[in-house]
Amino acid sequence: MKKWVKIILMLGLAGAITGGIIAYKILTKPHRDVTTEKAIAIKAQALFEAFKNDEAAANAQYLDKAIEIEGEIVDFSTNQDGQVVVNFKTDDPFFVINCTFKTNPGELKAGSTIRFKGICTGYIPDANVVINEGVLIP
Amino acid sequence: MKKILFLALFSIAFTQTQAQKLYGTRNAKVSFIATNDEDVKAVNNEVASRLSDKGEISFSLLIKGFKFEYAEMQEKFNNDYAESNKFPRAEFKGTISNIKDINFTKDGSYKAVVKGNLTLHGVSKPVTVNGTITVKAGKVSATGKFPIVMKDHKIEASAVTEKVNAEINAVYQ
Repeated sequence: MKKWVKIILMLGLAGAITGGIIAYKILTKPHRDVTTEKAIAIKAQALFEAFKNDEAAANAQYLDKAIEIEGEIVDFSTNQDGQVVVNFKTDDPFFVINCTFKTNPGELKAGSTIRFKGICTGYIPDANVVINEGVLIP
Repeated sequence: MKKILFLALFSIAFTQTQAQKLYGTRNAKVSFIATNDEDVKAVNNEVASRLSDKGEISFSLLIKGFKFEYAEMQEKFNNDYAESNKFPRAEFKGTISNIKDINFTKDGSYKAVVKGNLTLHGVSKPVTVNGTITVKAGKVSATGKFPIVMKDHKIEASAVTEKVNAEINAVYQ
């Protein structure tokens, strides 16, 4: 084989391998894992007030961040994909902090206080603040 | 005499007014899939929805609540296409135009024609959804499917898709 043909083939192969590595990295990029992140610790009532009083400021502070929330369980249920969801109490009877677990938290009891660490996805006025992809902090 | 008559008529009218029944959930499910690429799909399980037996229906969700299989795709969706930091919520508000056909006290599957507005990426567009309201053993649920065209909501995603098919599934408490 002529030398220049060899060089082009080698470059082509290198390009294909690089492309393959990049594609592999994109396809296998891991999802965020809150258990490894440092979280902002806050009580359910304080988080509710922050969003109720100034949504823009609360978004800047909490949106997309890892939050470790402490609150009293109003109720809990399972969503349509089998994940456990807990609602934390605020002083507004119509408003809760709605938290979805990524991993099974085990036995829960309405009225008890627990700590939940997850990612805050934002505020739905007159309904709830949403935190998902969460785990139970013992 | 007139006073007594007035009071009598008023109290009869008052008792005839039926209080409306409200159904709600904080964990309805909304999913979407690109019409041209089955790999482009996401699910949101934290959708707040309210339904009244007078026919008013609403859905509110946080864009950052959509979960994709590929983390990279989820990032691009939030940062480049839906711009969720600028427009964190999507909302649908509508009315069931054939509410008289639906009996919330009788078990059954009822076709529901919902006319409303979808606000997504800061742009509001009228939508008509042909859905179903199901009543079973006192529990009410609603399902519906409709297409969303990216351009309608000024979403620049032509590199990925022009249109997605959205599906709603709400089980009310």
